Amino acid sequence: MMKYLVPAAGLLFTLQNILWINAGVFIGSIFAAIPGLSVILCVILFLPVTYSMPAIPGMMFLLGIYCAGGYGGSVSAILINTPGTPHAAATMLDGHPLSQKGRTKAALKIALYASAFGGVFSALMLLFLGPQVARVAAQLGTPEYFMVCVFGLTIIAGVSGKSIVRGLLSACLGLFIACIGSDPMTSYDRFTFGNSRLYLGMDLAVCLIGLFALVEVLAKAEKSRGALRLDTAKMEDDGKITKEEYKRMARPVFLSSLIGVLVGIIPGTGASEASWFSYSQAKNMSKNPEEFGHGSVEGIAAAESANNAVTGATLIPLLTLGIPGDGTVAIMLSALMINGLNPGLSLFTTDGDIMYAIMLGLILVNLFMLLQGKFLTSLFAKVVSIPQEILTPIIVIFCMAGAYSVNQNYFDVGVALVFAVLAWFLRKLDLPAVPILLGMVLGSMTETNFRRALLISNGSPTIFFSSVFCWIFVALIVFAVAMILRGKWKEREKAKQ
Amino acid sequence: MKGRFVSAVLAMVMTVGLVAGCGSSGQESWKVTCPWAPSGVAAMVSQKAAEKSTTYSENITLVAEAIKGDAATVNTWVADTEANEKEMVFAGEGLFSITSILDPAKMQFTYEDFAYVENLYSSIFVLSAQADMNIKNIADLEAFAASGEEISVAVNGATSSEAFLAAALFGDMGAGENLKLVAYASAAEAAQAVAKGETKFAVSHQSQILETYQQGGVSIVCAFDEKPLENGPFAGTEGVGEKGYPYFRNRCFIMARQGTDAAKVEELKKLYDDILADEEVATWLQDTMLLEVDTMSEDQVKEHIESVKAIVNEYKDVVTQ
Amino acid sequence: MGKLSNAIDERTDRIGERLKDKEIRIPINLTAGIVCFLFAVAVLLIMPQQVQVSEKDVVNGRAFPTLLMTVMILCSVLLVAKEVYKIIRKQPLEWKTIQILTEVKALVIFGILFFTYFLSKVTGLFLVGAIFCSLGFLVYFRCKKPVYYVITLILAVGIWAVFRFVLNVGF
Repeated sequence: MMKYLVPAAGLLFTLQNILWINAGVFIGSIFAAIPGLSVILCVILFLPVTYSMPAIPGMMFLLGIYCAGGYGGSVSAILINTPGTPHAAATMLDGHPLSQKGRTKAALKIALYASAFGGVFSALMLLFLGPQVARVAAQLGTPEYFMVCVFGLTIIAGVSGKSIVRGLLSACLGLFIACIGSDPMTSYDRFTFGNSRLYLGMDLAVCLIGLFALVEVLAKAEKSRGALRLDTAKMEDDGKITKEEYKRMARPVFLSSLIGVLVGIIPGTGASEASWFSYSQAKNMSKNPEEFGHGSVEGIAAAESANNAVTGATLIPLLTLGIPGDGTVAIMLSALMINGLNPGLSLFTTDGDIMYAIMLGLILVNLFMLLQGKFLTSLFAKVVSIPQEILTPIIVIFCMAGAYSVNQNYFDVGVALVFAVLAWFLRKLDLPAVPILLGMVLGSMTETNFRRALLISNGSPTIFFSSVFCWIFVALIVFAVAMILRGKWKEREKAKQ
Repeated sequence: MKGRFVSAVLAMVMTVGLVAGCGSSGQESWKVTCPWAPSGVAAMVSQKAAEKSTTYSENITLVAEAIKGDAATVNTWVADTEANEKEMVFAGEGLFSITSILDPAKMQFTYEDFAYVENLYSSIFVLSAQADMNIKNIADLEAFAASGEEISVAVNGATSSEAFLAAALFGDMGAGENLKLVAYASAAEAAQAVAKGETKFAVSHQSQILETYQQGGVSIVCAFDEKPLENGPFAGTEGVGEKGYPYFRNRCFIMARQGTDAAKVEELKKLYDDILADEEVATWLQDTMLLEVDTMSEDQVKEHIESVKAIVNEYKDVVTQ
Repeated sequence: MGKLSNAIDERTDRIGERLKDKEIRIPINLTAGIVCFLFAVAVLLIMPQQVQVSEKDVVNGRAFPTLLMTVMILCSVLLVAKEVYKIIRKQPLEWKTIQILTEVKALVIFGILFFTYFLSKVTGLFLVGAIFCSLGFLVYFRCKKPVYYVITLILAVGIWAVFRFVLNVGF
């Protein structure tokens, strides 16, 4: 490794690369901050820019977009209670309440610092442990993936609000929505009612716009005109984070970064899962679990460090085994291949300097994200002082344009509207919306791996206990359920007192 | 106030004009829609062609776009595109030969809705097996199939080209009843499945199994082609056609909308032919993507569609039973 | 223009005054339970028409949705049963108040959203919808400042232009 690091540094530290990193970071932050404009869409749009570039500046530009996208989604989640990207949904739970308390800048700063830490942490893991970790991750198969999903579903309890039964109802709805479209195992249609637009199922980004962004617009109806005016005049916000808060965040940030890396190296899972796992873990381990959902600094830090720790980790299977961990990384794979580089362990010997330059570059990307973010935070924070009369239609236009641009058709805009109405009715019935999102994130993966595992084992459920990894996940699930029960017991005790 | 208002309106008009001006130029931009994943083989080749288009044409620029959705994307494309619009789309045997038979309701178009431009490449799929099974050629495979053991094959999609190739091969060996197709969400996942031991075999593009092969996780049994593979890391691998088994290559055709000016279609075809004749593109296709440049006439395309249809009709019961 | 807008405001104020105190109270757990129960039953009923299965499948395409709907029915029954128990024991139920004025305002906002979508779709020009949306919300918020109208319209056109010409979104 050391023999490649010096030439790699020589390849990386050029003015051209620094400029492309910064361009990528800036574009990624802005794109991810706008609901409906996903990171993957941004990478697709800007991929042609990299055609004429050599591999390293091209990858640096795309990595800039990818990493900053991990952070940018939190901006709108904090400012307007609408996650810019699906993986920022967990950030929204505490980010927006903290902003409403008049601490918008602090919330944005926490998200930025946690994101940068998570990003650098995973970049270091990629640099020092990449090939070793990838070999272990490559052993995880269908039954292990299913167990990861079951573990993920235990999070429903943590985001259900006051009633787990209501959370379960919403989660079932989310999991059901994930069933719409072509059956992943047989290609038969399910619940499409003959509509060809539904063959591909519901796009998560489009549903997110309806469930969180447009329903917030509908919710303006709940406020009097006086209350709407109050929104525009935010209290003084110095953006300070106290020493005490830094101390409280240290443990969740570190653990969440680790969770982000572990989730990221498993192809098929991504930043959304990582942020929910971490959020749930942080809540379970916190001394102040009651603050979660009401502006907890730990909640923001956990979710953000985890979703950015995924960025470096997804590159581990990509660069070492040629397996793209998520959609965005799959496009980066094509950027590498267009440059004649076919990722895999052999590339570490044939083009080791390029590989290590990319890995070192990821650290640099996160550092520039931190620097740019520090300037952008003040600018972003100003959004909350924009009058509602201007901000509301602009949010709607962005949402609709974003929904349209996913597949370039108005059907998706219609879907977003339907989901807004659905979310409105769910509010009326006091059913939480977050478990729906969680169900949609985990739905397809849970079902596909469940059915595929049983197909492989000819129907024998023993396959779910067939490896050491399966048992590790069983232990994690038992631990998570125990923590939930402990939390409920504590709540009951408090209520009695 | 009035002055400010007028200034603002003027600024708006100027901005829009400026932005609109940026969008137009002397060149014709032809958008090429790929209805599959942006990271897939077809999308990558389309991107490479787009990159080279300005080198080989002074008046046509190709713009590659990938909107995954398969039949749904092509349905929309056909519905929204008129003759002579500067739009092209990819379509392959998956749509014309497989979906048209298994799920015709999904397709709101026929071949007649398109004007054929060019086929860019052909991909020869390979069958890989778990390394410890020691199945290294077709004779070993035949012996295994004859043993009556279950034959689990990882494929990318339940009714994909890969699924039909596996069904045709094992069906023709008389082992169709023992065949178990395990569908994965991507070609990369399917290729990994065999190395993890989840399935005994996998059918995949050569580039997608390469890394697993180099790590020693799988052996390459045969290629779905007439002759042994001539190039690349799997050169020498037997072709199933040699032993009389059915096969087809994976091809993706570039299509314009039916009714588009024939001279323009010819100009586009020439542009693609020039791009494919570029040594760098050919080398990239062969060495990195492990594909072959494969320009075709329209008659050859129709023949390809019909030959795949024949295989689908014969083995659809094996795939969907 | 000003007079017209004042007249509209006065009229809507009068409607608002009339609706201000009107509300509906619903037993929230009972309602949520029954709605979810009916939804799950409806899904189970349409399943045979909507999900084709193959005999070969070890676990077919209906299994997972059936499992989900079963869990949904169980949870719904639990919610309803708890409320029925409370009724029998004459304990107070959980009620939720729905204010008619809020719902009417939400309907108006939804109208703006819907017509933004409808106009964009019918004309094929997103810009038309974007302009309608801007004006719709400014009127909804009873904005009287011309500068807000100018800023919002400039931003609406700017967003459309960026999507259309920079991001190449074809609308």
